[in-house]
Amino acid sequence: MPIKILSVDDSRTIRLIVGRTLRPFDCVLIEAGNGEEGLAAAAREKPDLILLDVTMPVMDGVTMLTQLRETPELKATPVIMLTAESGRENVLHIARLGVRDYLVKPFKEEQLLEKIGKVVSLVKKETAALPAAA
Amino acid sequence: MPAATYLELEKKYGLQPLPDSVMRLTQLVARQNADLDQIGKLISTDPVLSQRLLRAANPRAASEEDYSATTVEEALMRTGVACVLLLAMSTPLADALLKTFQTMLGWKLVGCRPGTLEALTGQHVACKIGFAGKANGEVYLRLSANTARLIAAGILGLPPEALTNDAEVDDTMGELLNICTGNFKSNLCDAGLECKLQPPQVRRTSETEDELADGGGRERMAFQAPNVNLFVNLHVNPFNE
Repeated sequence: MPIKILSVDDSRTIRLIVGRTLRPFDCVLIEAGNGEEGLAAAAREKPDLILLDVTMPVMDGVTMLTQLRETPELKATPVIMLTAESGRENVLHIARLGVRDYLVKPFKEEQLLEKIGKVVSLVKKETAALPAAA
Repeated sequence: MPAATYLELEKKYGLQPLPDSVMRLTQLVARQNADLDQIGKLISTDPVLSQRLLRAANPRAASEEDYSATTVEEALMRTGVACVLLLAMSTPLADALLKTFQTMLGWKLVGCRPGTLEALTGQHVACKIGFAGKANGEVYLRLSANTARLIAAGILGLPPEALTNDAEVDDTMGELLNICTGNFKSNLCDAGLECKLQPPQVRRTSETEDELADGGGRERMAFQAPNVNLFVNLHVNPFNE
């Protein structure tokens, strides 16, 4: 069964970059534009990993993470923060809530893959058909 | 298990702190009661900051040979603390911009005097993000529509001709400025100037001047790479208690 990754970011650009980064791998990308949509998607899809931004409209990433950790069926879901927010107080607060890793924007696709690969096993899609038997 | 310290998390997550001199300068300015001697000594320890202060104190000089204020002390007497605030705040912004272009596009931007670049004429892309809290102000990024398309295409991994929709370009430019300003805001917060960002606004306009609040200061910066000119203005409004 493919890995399910939920990207919660209000920027379509970032969600596109995440999608492009994961395209070669056998995984399903679910997208949400804010924390409220993210919580709903997490409850519905039970993702294997959540990539979470901090500053978003409607509900920010810290609020979503807090509520996620308070929800019994979702509290163990691994989260990697993917954000331009790197202020000391926020990083400390977020780390206390429980995240597997933290990647500050701007990021290189290889950095994102490396961090994701430490949490879930990414398997490349088969790109070429096997040669037909003679 | 005891909670991790920031230094442990910095190492674990690979976070990059501000240069120490810039952090200390921002902290000094944030205190609002630092004297010019203290500030001057600190700036003198950082060649880049010293160079930028001297440039700000000699706005009409075409080169260093034309400077009339030649020491950090003279430059500070001429510009005052308000200029140091801009200097302290524009350094992390410029660093964030350079890092973002290098990381996301592999482009090495070079800072230059705005007057040395060909001015924008006619309709262009203007992006703006406000920050509010103990530090208040706006960051503006202006660039030609063609440059914006090149940058957006690079970030999205598409050929420029595939980007025919201005809205897609504008969304990417808003996120680009959001990333730069997010890094900048984090550095301000770390230095004691807690503030929050407002959502980015991107528009196509022919106006090239940004409105400045009463008593506010403005730092004009420019950056270039082959076929790319960027104009960045930082507006800083008076401190909020």
